Amino acid sequence: MLAGSQLRVDIRFAKRVLIAYNHPMNEKELVIHARGGDRDAFNELISNYIDKIYRLGFKVSGNEEDAQDILQETFLKAIDKIESFRSEASFGTWLYSIAMNVMRGCFAQRKKMALKPIEDYAPDHSDTGSSGLFKWNDPHEMFENSQIQGIIDDFIAEMPEENSTPFILRYIEEMPVKEIAGVMGLSVSAVKSRILRARLALREHISSKMEEKMP
Amino acid sequence: MKDCTEYIQNLCSYVDGEADDSICKEIEKHLKDCPECRVMVDTLKKTVVLCKEGEKKHLPAELRAKLKSALEKKWKERFGNEADEETPPDGEK
Ligand SMILES: [Zn+2]
Ligand SMILES: [Zn+2]
Repeated sequence: MLAGSQLRVDIRFAKRVLIAYNHPMNEKELVIHARGGDRDAFNELISNYIDKIYRLGFKVSGNEEDAQDILQETFLKAIDKIESFRSEASFGTWLYSIAMNVMRGCFAQRKKMALKPIEDYAPDHSDTGSSGLFKWNDPHEMFENSQIQGIIDDFIAEMPEENSTPFILRYIEEMPVKEIAGVMGLSVSAVKSRILRARLALREHISSKMEEKMP
Repeated sequence: MKDCTEYIQNLCSYVDGEADDSICKEIEKHLKDCPECRVMVDTLKKTVVLCKEGEKKHLPAELRAKLKSALEKKWKERFGNEADEETPPDGEK
């Protein structure tokens, strides 16, 4: 005969199996269950975002402790505010927007380098002609991949997070611009110009590292 | 001929294949005459390729366990012990 606690564990397990295979709850149902105190439903909701938000925090901050803090703080806030989630937005968008606020708080005190205005990255033909852009052939011939990744990560972590965040979401998490705009509470064109600035700055930085390496 | 500055605003959309046709045509016309902007387009593309080559970091197992217990604690504060908890009721082993 099963002991009461054993039975309870089995029911819990059976419920998980049911959720996973027979009746996969959609996001809306999961949210309703989570609001009612069903921790499994909440865990299911956040499961896809743990690594994503951790990576975002790590790229933006450049270190694991901050990434862990950002991740934990985001989910704690989500538990606190679960009732305020309205299903017009997707759960992911809502979660990311909480992460944005957490990061804003986290980096408010920190001094980050300022990026140049977009126009300043344009090729300049006006002067002596020494401003030629440096053409990279195969970057892998100059650097090992881990070195390149180090250069990229260090530079992204130095950028203001208003530029690095949309850049990371766009090109590393492959989020559409429209969704980034929703997450950040910005217009599509504002997001585009932040991404462009980050991309131009990073391009220029990689270029200067490549040039340094040239014999 | 327009200055390169006027093209740079749209280079990202162009490179990502998201620019309007008319803008694409204008940029392509400019690229024919401007080796500098050609290098710019090429290296902007490579920048993103390099970013994507980075390994995708995952939350390490010990941090995952730490996160799990922090969230459990918070959940109990918020919702109390639910009926489906693994905690056996009083009197049971
Ligand atoms: Zn040009
Ligand atoms: Zn030109």
